[in-house]
Amino acid sequence: MLNYVWVGIVLVGILTAAANDVKDDMRNTYRNGVPLDAVLDVEKSPSPLRSTWEGTLVIPAASFSAMYDQPQTAGDVREPARIAALSGGRSSISIPVVEAMPGIWKEMAKSGSGRDELTGTLVSVSFSGDGKTAAVRFVLEPVRFVKMKAVTRAAMDYAAMAVTIAIGLIGVMALWLGVMKVAEEAGILLVVTRLLTPLTRRLFPDVPAGHPALSAMIMNMAANMLGLSNAATPLGLKAMEELNKLNPKIGTATNAMCTFLAMNTGGLVLIPATAIAVRAAAGSSNPGIIIGTSIVGASCATFAGVAAAKILERLPHYRKMLDDPRG
Amino acid sequence: MIDAASVAAIPLLLAVFLGWAALKRVKVYEVFVEGAKDGFHVAVRIIPYLVAMLVAIGIFRASGAMEMLTALLTPVTSWIGMPPEVVPMALMRPLSGSGSLGIMAELMNAHGPDSVIGVMASTMYGSSETTLYVLAVYFGAAGIRNVRHALAAGIIADVAGMLAAIWIVNLLFR
Repeated sequence: MLNYVWVGIVLVGILTAAANDVKDDMRNTYRNGVPLDAVLDVEKSPSPLRSTWEGTLVIPAASFSAMYDQPQTAGDVREPARIAALSGGRSSISIPVVEAMPGIWKEMAKSGSGRDELTGTLVSVSFSGDGKTAAVRFVLEPVRFVKMKAVTRAAMDYAAMAVTIAIGLIGVMALWLGVMKVAEEAGILLVVTRLLTPLTRRLFPDVPAGHPALSAMIMNMAANMLGLSNAATPLGLKAMEELNKLNPKIGTATNAMCTFLAMNTGGLVLIPATAIAVRAAAGSSNPGIIIGTSIVGASCATFAGVAAAKILERLPHYRKMLDDPRG
Repeated sequence: MIDAASVAAIPLLLAVFLGWAALKRVKVYEVFVEGAKDGFHVAVRIIPYLVAMLVAIGIFRASGAMEMLTALLTPVTSWIGMPPEVVPMALMRPLSGSGSLGIMAELMNAHGPDSVIGVMASTMYGSSETTLYVLAVYFGAAGIRNVRHALAAGIIADVAGMLAAIWIVNLLFR
């Protein structure tokens, strides 16, 4: 099933990106080749050392929203910009990406030549008498295949991110594996496990009593509930490794592994600290109000996940995978 | 109370485990190092699984497919009392932790953290885990390629969590 889900996610993504690009091209979403009028408040005129005009480009909110067919923003679009004379009497304009830039321009800059700016060519420019302002008309560089470029970039970035995440795990992983080893030698894990035996025997009937996998799973669930994800992940990975020692068929998940995974995806947390922090940052009058509702939601998720795992493991389709030595 | 438990848990655990082991005359330092040396291998072993999963999710997110799926699902979701604004949240939650965090923060800025939408989005965030990430990392550590029914069970857990979040928030806050 995972094979099909995985290839499905990839193909739906690529096909949607292609369809979106075709749509953008037909509607000319990015107004390729359409000139824009603006006023440049000149801040730096050319000097013997510099042949550029620098200043603030101002486009009235109404004309910007009419141009790109977007909801009108509160204030006029104000962007730093630079005009440089090129050979052959032409001039170019470049607009660096800044925080306040309209979203559509940010999107266009991202899919452009890769430097963090929008570039275009000047059609006409006329300076006012004192040289402080100039009316400019310019055409931005054509933007095409925005989504396809974004998909390409995402594939590369996320591949790199996967390695960053894994490397970042090495330290905490080593810490908890060390602590667990010490606890194992001292016989502490046996005590922890014995207390919860009635529960674990029902959930994981295939795991023998006193097996190190049980203690690692219990510690993982406890760390999860306390919201200690730094400790929970290493303990969960340790549990999976221990469960794998009982696996008759390397490379295929056992019933206990699937049940344990279902418990983890339920994500039962006593204090959903991240969500509370975001609520507090957004100015909530009672950030902790979601503790109760989250516990209800996560309990339902965990219960449904474990029940589903227990029912699905009996289906002939999934039973066969464990028995059949070929696949 | 639980807050204090979260803060004290790790120092307390380290003190109790290491102290107890020392009393039992375990060679604590030597054994710790012996166990810790596997940390590198486990972390490196999950890389191929994580790359496969995250690249697929990255492509999906960048393509704009999420917006399309949201539009398709809106008629169904409004029938079960789910505001259309939180549909992307429910779709993103099993795929990406950082993505759903971004959507949650955005919804709170747009609608206020104490609105029904804000409470529902944050409840959803707290009601579930990033299933595909957990699946890739946990099974990656054990070298599991055939996940059998784990994905189906995980998705059922996610759907149940989202439905429960919608139900309880509508019950208490509307």
